[in-house]
Amino acid sequence: MFSGRNWVARGLYLLLNICSLEVYGGLVQSCGHILPESPVLALGSNFTALCILNESCLDFGNIYASQIIWKIKNRVVPREQYREINRTVSSVTFNDTSSLATPLTCNILADGQIEQNIYGITVTLGLPPEKPKNLSCIVHQVLKLTYPMTCTWNPGRHTFLDTQFRLKYRWPHENFPDCIPKDVNNSCTINEVLFFVNLEVWVEATNALGKAESDPLVLDPIDIVKPLPPHNLSVNSGILPTVLKLSWENRISVAVMKLKFNIRYRIIGDTNWMQVPPEDTASPRTSFSVQGLRPYTEYVFSIRCMKEDGVGYWSNWSEEKTGVTTEDKPSKGPAIWRIIDASHSPASWTVHLMWKALEPFEANGVILQYEVTVRPKSSLSSPPERFNVNTTNLTLKLPNGTYEVAVIARNRVGASPPSVLLIPASNSKAPVKNVRTLPKDGKLWVGWTAPNTYILKYVIEWCLVSNSSDCIIEWQNEPGNVQGTYLKGDIKPFKCYLITVYPLYADGQGSGQSVKAYLQQDRPSKGPTVQTKKVGKAEAVLTWNHLTVDEQNGFIRSYTIFYKTIDGNETAVTVDPSKTEYTLSSLASDTLYTVRMMAYTDEGGRSGPDFTFTTQKFGKGEIEAIVVPVCLAFLLIVLLGVLFCFNKRDLIKKHIWPIVPDPSKSNIAQWSPQVPAKHNFSSKDQMYPEGSFTDVSVVEIEADDKKSFSEQDLKPFDLLKKEKSTSEGHSSGIGGSSCMSSPRQSVSDSDEGETTQNTSSTVQYSTVVLNGYRDQTPVQVFSRSESTQPLLDSEERSEDHAGGGDSTTRRQQYFKQSGGQDEASADRPCFEGTKQITSDDEGDLVRFAQLQVLSQSSQLLGFDLEKDTQEAALSDVSETSTEGQMVRPETGEGNPASVDQMPKSYLPQTVRQGGYMPQ
Amino acid sequence: MAAADSPSAALRRRDLCSRGIRLAGKMRSDVLDLLDTYVERQGLDASASVAAVEGLPTAAAERWDEQTGTQRLLENLSAYRTFRTLLAQMLEEQREQLGEAEAALGRALAAVLLQVSAFAYHLEEMLRLESRGPPSEEGAGAPPLPHLSLFERKLRGLGVLRELAQWAVRSVRDLRQLAKPGPEPSPAESL
Repeated sequence: MFSGRNWVARGLYLLLNICSLEVYGGLVQSCGHILPESPVLALGSNFTALCILNESCLDFGNIYASQIIWKIKNRVVPREQYREINRTVSSVTFNDTSSLATPLTCNILADGQIEQNIYGITVTLGLPPEKPKNLSCIVHQVLKLTYPMTCTWNPGRHTFLDTQFRLKYRWPHENFPDCIPKDVNNSCTINEVLFFVNLEVWVEATNALGKAESDPLVLDPIDIVKPLPPHNLSVNSGILPTVLKLSWENRISVAVMKLKFNIRYRIIGDTNWMQVPPEDTASPRTSFSVQGLRPYTEYVFSIRCMKEDGVGYWSNWSEEKTGVTTEDKPSKGPAIWRIIDASHSPASWTVHLMWKALEPFEANGVILQYEVTVRPKSSLSSPPERFNVNTTNLTLKLPNGTYEVAVIARNRVGASPPSVLLIPASNSKAPVKNVRTLPKDGKLWVGWTAPNTYILKYVIEWCLVSNSSDCIIEWQNEPGNVQGTYLKGDIKPFKCYLITVYPLYADGQGSGQSVKAYLQQDRPSKGPTVQTKKVGKAEAVLTWNHLTVDEQNGFIRSYTIFYKTIDGNETAVTVDPSKTEYTLSSLASDTLYTVRMMAYTDEGGRSGPDFTFTTQKFGKGEIEAIVVPVCLAFLLIVLLGVLFCFNKRDLIKKHIWPIVPDPSKSNIAQWSPQVPAKHNFSSKDQMYPEGSFTDVSVVEIEADDKKSFSEQDLKPFDLLKKEKSTSEGHSSGIGGSSCMSSPRQSVSDSDEGETTQNTSSTVQYSTVVLNGYRDQTPVQVFSRSESTQPLLDSEERSEDHAGGGDSTTRRQQYFKQSGGQDEASADRPCFEGTKQITSDDEGDLVRFAQLQVLSQSSQLLGFDLEKDTQEAALSDVSETSTEGQMVRPETGEGNPASVDQMPKSYLPQTVRQGGYMPQ
Repeated sequence: MAAADSPSAALRRRDLCSRGIRLAGKMRSDVLDLLDTYVERQGLDASASVAAVEGLPTAAAERWDEQTGTQRLLENLSAYRTFRTLLAQMLEEQREQLGEAEAALGRALAAVLLQVSAFAYHLEEMLRLESRGPPSEEGAGAPPLPHLSLFERKLRGLGVLRELAQWAVRSVRDLRQLAKPGPEPSPAESL
């Protein structure tokens, strides 16, 4: 079923093609057409097109107008715009042709599916021409007899269509061919027009949508002529130095028009034209004499013309011609000024006279020479001096005084009036006030306030201030009635000028008043180079040099110092421009700072190079503030210590220097050994063999116990006591500790060699009460005092004290020998025992004796106490060795003073030198 | 003459007179220039004697000062209409003889012809202001061209230009006369 319908559709389509391409007479005939055919439409108008189907196609293809589809290009026109007029005609209407485009086609939808184009038209859209406006015409004279007329107009809006413009013109009784513009649509030129007959001119614009005409212009072409300018202009000098005569030829016939003229002229080099009064040249002519010109001046002339009645156009200006007026004598004398140099001699001046060359309009010719007259005012009788010079300066050496200098300029025609300058002895007149400057119009204006008195004229001096060149003075004169002027010279921007204003009076001059000025300022060309003068902990003193004048480029208004740490914000400080030093404060200590400096003028600033510095860690006096108090405190402590020691010297003495009893004052000293036989030294060795007598104990005997002993018994105790003191001193000298050293010392004490026998006659003996070993019966031994050394004062005092007080009797001490090596471990009890002793004076005495020996044996101090103690302990253990004895003399020899001080007694020497006599 | 009495007519008349005078002056100047060019281009002698052109009224008048304004205008108009025809003939002859090489002479001739035509229009306008109106051109104008040789045509042309120069002078004088205030009523006007 479906395939069958499709076949039918194909068949219809083929039929339609056959119908639409029906061959007739060899041409292809369409099935329809559109009316109108390729219309030109006005933009914005409405438009209706008809598509008309051929009847023949209806028969073949069963096609009707209702099947027509209108399309613009490929876009289907909405069906609302269609209208089926009959079965063969369909219309489409466009209310605004702006929506139209090309092509507009009529199409048919065959069998409701297949679209077939029937016909198409091209639509051209555009606008009708507007009425041309602003028509105007001008007749240019191009040759003597050729006067083409050119008319221009405004063609109006763009029409989007091909629009033709025609310039039409006619006489009332005669028509002329139209003027058709070439390549333009707004002007046309008629080659030849006739004057004195009114011509009617108008423009006609035509295109496919219509035609428009401008308003007609009726004119006589003679009234719109722009003639050619006069030519062959010549300029001739007249008899007078202020007159030049012009001649020319006109290029338009008087028969055509009468002319009037404009003549303009200017001084060559000047840009401003002057003009001869028009009324003087309002009539036809071919020459004119221009008057009122400057002598010896070259002028440029030009001329133009137009119709005499002023109707029409001025011609262009003619070619320029120059002419020079003749010379005249100078109109005024040269401006004169002076520089007085009084430095060479106090009695005379070197006067540099300067005058300015006259301006051309003043010189009125070529200046041949200047005549200078110098007349002393003080001595009228002396004749004036005259100088003829060709230059504009003259240097004279004149005695101090007042002079009148006159200068005249001379040219071929004559001499100028004289210029007079008074050179006074001093500038005693009133000066000007309030000298000020103002840049204006690229020039530097100088103003001042005049004094109250009459001023003849002013002299303004100025010079460029620079480091690289001297101040070369320039100057100018100004009349006395002005109070300001522009500097007439090459004033450069960014340069400093020193400007001085002098008032000149009829009888003298005032002193100059100066001011510095810039025509234009700029930023400084460089910034100040800042550096540190001094750096402290929290402050730094910065110094810099002022910029030179050449570097400033303007007035330095301020400096700004920028400083910052490496990672900190930049801080700015504004500094007065007169300063060259500034102290930065509140800086962080021991910190690296970067500092730079900018100098500012009115136009801005420029920065100098960066400079870095590091603040100090300690401030000034901070170290002293720490060290001095510490030292003072130390000294104070020392002093206090000393004072304390001084005050407590007794106490200290008691602790440090035990009272060493004077053996000479001891009881034993008066004691004569009655039983020397008992002193069996040889047996002693047997009795107390070395090593067996290892310790000495002090046994306190209470005073009350004295009575338990017989007097005889006590004496030996006294002796023993003295001996003990000595032996204690020795022991303490060895080890500083009686407990440690006592065994050895005890040995030395007890081990007396044969030498003791040699000195028995002079040395007394002490009695040593030896305790028996472990409950053995002590053996009373008298031991000879070893010491022959003079006692220290303290010892003596102690001794005296002890002796005086005889306190030894109150508390008796004696040595308790603790035998055996095992007993050596009982040091502590021994110490304690010592403590007990020190609680009494006698005990103190014993200790003092020990300390005394310690102090006297400087060589022992040189040894390490502990070492010695250990040594002593070793010797205790391994018996006294010769090696140990050998050490001591060596160290003792290191202190010869102590050796010298020693009395030459045998045993003490041996002992003191640290050795034990070999036994 | 009633029309001439109205202020606007008087103004128009004065304007026509003024511009007619200047046009005649310009025409004379151009004709003199054209004469020089014509003599040079045609190889003629400037002093050559030329017989009067047939049918062309002469500028000379025996009782010129006795003529009325209208008479002056009519005579002028008759003369210039004749000149217009003759100059048109001359221009046609020039184009045939000299071709484009002598375009300058042809342009000068055309310019003079145009001025002659313009002056004739001026005269017609002035006659209209005289309430007379210009006469019909039929009967007036140049006689039919005789069969002349080339040289004779050149001489004839020289004669036409010389006479035109004369008429230009006379026309200036006539118009100045017409421009004078209070002209006496002429016999013609009384007719």
